Amino acid sequence: MAPVSTTEPLHLDALGPRGAYRTRVPSTVTDVSGAPIARLSLVPPLYVARAIGALRQAPPIAAADLDTVFATAGEAFAAGTVGGLSVREYERLVSRTSGTPLAVVRAATRGTARFVRHAASSADRGRPRGAASDLSDPVLHETHTVWARQGDVFAVNASGNHPGVHRGWLEALALGYRVAVRPSRREPFTAHRLVAALRQAGIRDDQLMLLPTDHAAAGTLVHGADRAVVYGGDDVVTKYAHDTKVLPQGPGRSKILITADTDWRDHLDALVASVADEGGTACVNATAILVEGDPAPLAEALAARLTVLPSLPPQDERARLPVCPQQRARALSAYLKTVAAGTRAWLGGDGIADDLGDGSAVLRPAVHQTASARAPQLRTELPFPCVWIAPWTRADGMAPLRDTLVLSALTRDRGLWESLIAEPSIANVYFGDQPTHWMAPGVPHDSYLSDFLMRSKAVYEGPS
Amino acid sequence: MPIGSLTVLDAGPFDGVDPDEHVRAAMQWHFTPETGSRYWLERVDRLGFDPCRDVKGVADLALFPDLTDELRDVRVTDLVPRGYGSQARPLHVFESGGTTGAPKRVVQMDDWARHGSEQVARRLRDHGLPVGALWLTVAPTGPHLVGEVLQRAAASLGSPGLGVDMDPRWVKKLVAAGRRDEVDAYTDHLVDQCRRILLGQDIGVIAATTPMLERFARDSDLVEVINGSAQAIIWGGTHMDPDTRDLLQTEVFPDVPVIGMYGNTMMLTALLERVGLAASEPCVFDPVSPYVFLSVVDPDTGQPVAEGERGQVVVSHVSKSMLIPNNRERDTALRVRPAEGHAGDAVADVAPVPAVAGETVIEGVY
Repeated sequence: MAPVSTTEPLHLDALGPRGAYRTRVPSTVTDVSGAPIARLSLVPPLYVARAIGALRQAPPIAAADLDTVFATAGEAFAAGTVGGLSVREYERLVSRTSGTPLAVVRAATRGTARFVRHAASSADRGRPRGAASDLSDPVLHETHTVWARQGDVFAVNASGNHPGVHRGWLEALALGYRVAVRPSRREPFTAHRLVAALRQAGIRDDQLMLLPTDHAAAGTLVHGADRAVVYGGDDVVTKYAHDTKVLPQGPGRSKILITADTDWRDHLDALVASVADEGGTACVNATAILVEGDPAPLAEALAARLTVLPSLPPQDERARLPVCPQQRARALSAYLKTVAAGTRAWLGGDGIADDLGDGSAVLRPAVHQTASARAPQLRTELPFPCVWIAPWTRADGMAPLRDTLVLSALTRDRGLWESLIAEPSIANVYFGDQPTHWMAPGVPHDSYLSDFLMRSKAVYEGPS
Repeated sequence: MPIGSLTVLDAGPFDGVDPDEHVRAAMQWHFTPETGSRYWLERVDRLGFDPCRDVKGVADLALFPDLTDELRDVRVTDLVPRGYGSQARPLHVFESGGTTGAPKRVVQMDDWARHGSEQVARRLRDHGLPVGALWLTVAPTGPHLVGEVLQRAAASLGSPGLGVDMDPRWVKKLVAAGRRDEVDAYTDHLVDQCRRILLGQDIGVIAATTPMLERFARDSDLVEVINGSAQAIIWGGTHMDPDTRDLLQTEVFPDVPVIGMYGNTMMLTALLERVGLAASEPCVFDPVSPYVFLSVVDPDTGQPVAEGERGQVVVSHVSKSMLIPNNRERDTALRVRPAEGHAGDAVADVAPVPAVAGETVIEGVY
């Protein structure tokens, strides 16, 4: 790995089967103002194919080493110098390139380190009660079942919307998969740091790799692995919907439901947090709030709380809102205006791009009220605090609540609790005063990842 | 017309013809009513200059507009220079891949086929290719030029050629339709055919497209047999990025020279990689004076870029068979000084024009 020096640009090398690999002409990573900030080696498909071959040949991490490796790696990720970068420098780079507020990045560093430390026990939480963890597990004699991998190589086609996106694949490593991570080209630093920290902690080069690629080579990666997770929009979800080897992670469309028996004024903090914490860029941020009764007062109160958030460069300690290149900010602003046609704008009606004067712009919050819970706007999820407030009635029923990653329900109606839990297209339900973005190690994000990676295998050991 | 001045057009690629003299003779040939093709004679009045008078050498080829789009519709008989006689027929009609629309069509007369393959064969011998060794060529034939060039190259080295055909247009169609499974199935089908040949015959030279070599690299049995018996690998037909080239040469096929070939239909031949380059150096292709001239220009201004800089590749083909001046390729390359005795530029690290990455997708948070 390249040491940081003042004269050399920072290089993010691929981390392949034989260590770091630098391509002949690395591509440039720019910050939100368009200034070059690092050089990223995008490996060609041939390199990817050979890397997958090496992963396939490698053994899983020894179960005995798991806890030590993850503890050491978590410590290095959170506080150490990894790949030549101190944690402060790493966080500044993430903030400058992804436009994520520095405070959000810092919290994510701590959060990710916690997920690293708990990766092995988290992964094991998804194991069915009847399945032995391995042949030496005494429960095998009662249940005749072993938890086994469905493949050997797991690929991650990651996104750069939030540094926390890299928490999921740690469980795959813990389950014995060999893992290849394709980082976001916009924010490759988190994936690089995490892979490097895990390698520093003892995971072999042929067990875990960082394979930055262009879009075309990403296909080689996803198709070459036994299992893959791919982040993207609705197009990605549609593309992989029928591919059992690929787990698409699409828009979260997280929502909040408030019924008439609950006063939203008691929960305004949680509502604001659901919309705007994490910079509003995560799939677990609330996209829509449905209110039984008049939604206008809630929309007004929410807008009042969000409008005071300052417009600051992302690396400012006080920054809370995401920043992106000015041109993209204007495109997003124009797009929002088109989508919002016919709704009542409480905040952001005149646009949401706030130029910082250096080529970048802050994405300011938007609050719109729709006429009905069935309004198509409720499906529009954008990468900044942008929320649609809609009236909801019992007659609307479950339909507007479907296709939701996290649904926070502020209601005392136990019947409704049952219905929400039973609804297949709602992945997670939080009752009471809990923001939609709450996550914890061992708690499923979109079901346990192991549901996709493992199977229960009958094993009978007769007398021999 | 003084016929004597045209004999220069009949000279071979290694006869030491002055490129400017060759270009002047070619203008006489293509724009004189008795010898020129109907296609060029019909356009001469619209050029805005007199090729016979104003084109005094290689540099003046830049006066021509790029008319290659017209080659999608022109009748092939209109492309044959009348000077070949009324009974003359093209030896081949080649078509471009059709990447940018309907295929463009070019003709190749017997004399150019001879000169073209002579220069390819000579360059291959410079690379130390064995004489008489068995070739496996896996490349598009049919209307495409590359398969034909390779078959003729093998023949000129006294080598029997085994071939596996491919249809790149069908593959492009599948890719465009997102039918990845079918692309894979077709590729596997090609590899199966190659495997039978590679495992069953003593193949000394493999000539293949870049994607096929990448695909071979995944199968250890193929890598083993190629490293064991092949004496040269020739890649062409598509681009190869510098990192892939380095990996193929140093890691996958360390025992076999991997030699690049850059050509296309509008060039009507192929250029071989300069002899003696290391895998870590840029892959340089020298032009073929006096027939194929290259220049590397700024795509916006059309002005030449500085040596060592990247720009758009412009190719002119000038032979008795055809005149295709000033054709702007979809390739980019670094401008390099050509080897001794060649006019124009050499090119290095040829790459496709970078596709504009679509930043159109806005919805979602990823």
